Amino acid sequence: MNLIEIKNVYKTYTRKRFLSFGKKDETPVLKDVSLCLKENRVLGLVGESGCGKTTLSKIILGLEKASSGQVIVDGKDISKLSKAGFKHMRRLMQVIFQDPYSSLDPRMNVSQIISEPLDIHGLYKEKASRRKVLEDLLKSVGLSAEHLTRYPHEFSGGQRQRIAIARALALDPKILIADEPVSALDVSVQAQILNLLKEIKQKRRLSMVFVSHDFAVARFLCDEIAVMYKGLILEYAPAEDLFSNPQHPYTEALFSAVPVPDPARQKKREAVSLSSRSDMENHPCPFAARCAYACAFCQTPPFLKEVRPGHFCACAALPFKNKKSSFAV
Amino acid sequence: MLQNRIFKRFTRNKTSLVGLLLVCFFAFIALFAPVLAPVDNARNPYQMPQSSYAIEPQAPSASHWFGTTEQQYDLYYGVVWGTRFAFKIGITVTFFAFLIGLLVGSMAAYFGGKTDEVIMRLTDVVFAVPSLVLAMVIAAMLGPDIKNMMIALTAVAWPSYARLVRGDILSVKQRDFVTAARALGAGGPRIMLRHILPNSIYPSVVVASLDIGYIVLTAASLSFLGLGAQPGTADWGQLVAMARNWVLGTSGNTLAYWYTVFIPGGAIFLFVLGWNLLGDAFRDILDPRQG
Repeated sequence: MNLIEIKNVYKTYTRKRFLSFGKKDETPVLKDVSLCLKENRVLGLVGESGCGKTTLSKIILGLEKASSGQVIVDGKDISKLSKAGFKHMRRLMQVIFQDPYSSLDPRMNVSQIISEPLDIHGLYKEKASRRKVLEDLLKSVGLSAEHLTRYPHEFSGGQRQRIAIARALALDPKILIADEPVSALDVSVQAQILNLLKEIKQKRRLSMVFVSHDFAVARFLCDEIAVMYKGLILEYAPAEDLFSNPQHPYTEALFSAVPVPDPARQKKREAVSLSSRSDMENHPCPFAARCAYACAFCQTPPFLKEVRPGHFCACAALPFKNKKSSFAV
Repeated sequence: MLQNRIFKRFTRNKTSLVGLLLVCFFAFIALFAPVLAPVDNARNPYQMPQSSYAIEPQAPSASHWFGTTEQQYDLYYGVVWGTRFAFKIGITVTFFAFLIGLLVGSMAAYFGGKTDEVIMRLTDVVFAVPSLVLAMVIAAMLGPDIKNMMIALTAVAWPSYARLVRGDILSVKQRDFVTAARALGAGGPRIMLRHILPNSIYPSVVVASLDIGYIVLTAASLSFLGLGAQPGTADWGQLVAMARNWVLGTSGNTLAYWYTVFIPGGAIFLFVLGWNLLGDAFRDILDPRQG
């Protein structure tokens, strides 16, 4: 069953200028994005900074409105929900942010932070049961009851992210949107948080949308991965198939940039360069200017087509006859 | 953490300590004014006792510790009750200016767009006129009275708070914990009162502590010009105004009546200095960039 369905979502940011004389600055951020999240699966959104992955996650959460297109969560179009329906949607879907230093209110202690969702939705009002819920939540993210009275600044980045996860879990959601939850943490802590997310996902039978720019992180957690570039989805595939058979030149270039933990192999690998060519600026494919394969064949706008079972790729030049090498990780 | 920083600041930095001591000293005088200078006229303790109607000020003596000013008002009584008066004006005006600024600034930041534009341009208009001049005009229009003077001072003091609060709210609004609260289902008032205001109010508190001194100074200027407290009121500005004819002393002795200027003037000077140093200390303590 599809928990989240994203249908042809477009998002354009418009900046109105004072004294603009009718001119508008329009920046397209998402172009015709369609995706779905199945029950108890993890959907990864991967791409470089500014490709629209965070905007997409905000649109799913209803924190931003799509310019056109539909987002259907648990069978309901979120743009058509009433205020009460929207509030109910919050209990279904929760979020973890990238920066644990800015996602916790510095003037609230841990107890107040984790209590807030319960207060808003009027759950566990009785003192004893509230306390028990808070303690269980902290325990489930690897913290203990003694942390309840402390303030965010007394914790490390990893611990803060655990608090943020506990807050997201307080409403017992079915869907968790994780917006680069580990990219602000150092590598050893990243592993702990990733393990925690995986454990929680299995225990609570959660579905997740996992935003990341790190393929290694995405591979660990995701079942399906969508590769985004300039607001477009260039490739969408089951995680393992994507890693063993990357199709799009962009995915390939990104893989080539991920180092392999084997010096002998790493030395032989050749990075695909993403040089930018100014003569390709008006090309229908947004990636053409940086693409090593851009050629006369691909003068049509790219659209997602199934190249292998369940594996979609948006490149007009596929399949390549003269592929240089395979960069499967 | 905050307690530690406050303690560190005051033990390390001598000027902060001086500021704290000065303000505490004045607060003590204001609090114990009835003990330090027993009230003569119970109906209006701010009315200075007058021992005679003789014009010439009298030098400090056993019966008048600080001497007397024009028309024999006791300077000691005036300075002591003037301290209480200064606190009353400074705190009342700052409180209301803060409140109005907070309301206006948060409205501008919350509604944004055209509302913001209109509100902020209005505050700019108030900003554009020098505050002392504007306060004088308003006070003169309303008529010389203490209450009117306080209204005039409030009217010129609120825009700086409005601007500050608006800017801080706009920056806090961007932080992830506000988005997180929205994602949890929190409504507008809850986000404003629980998350945004508690995180954006501190800079304004610092400005308020600096402002108390400045407002007392402006109030003294208005009184000096005859737009505030009436003759005979225990008000520092009023006391300085009464010294106007005696500033030059007698021929050959310029400092003959020094006490009429230096005593109330010194009180104003030390009071404003104290609040300034204390405000500086608060600013550094609440500045997260200072470790």
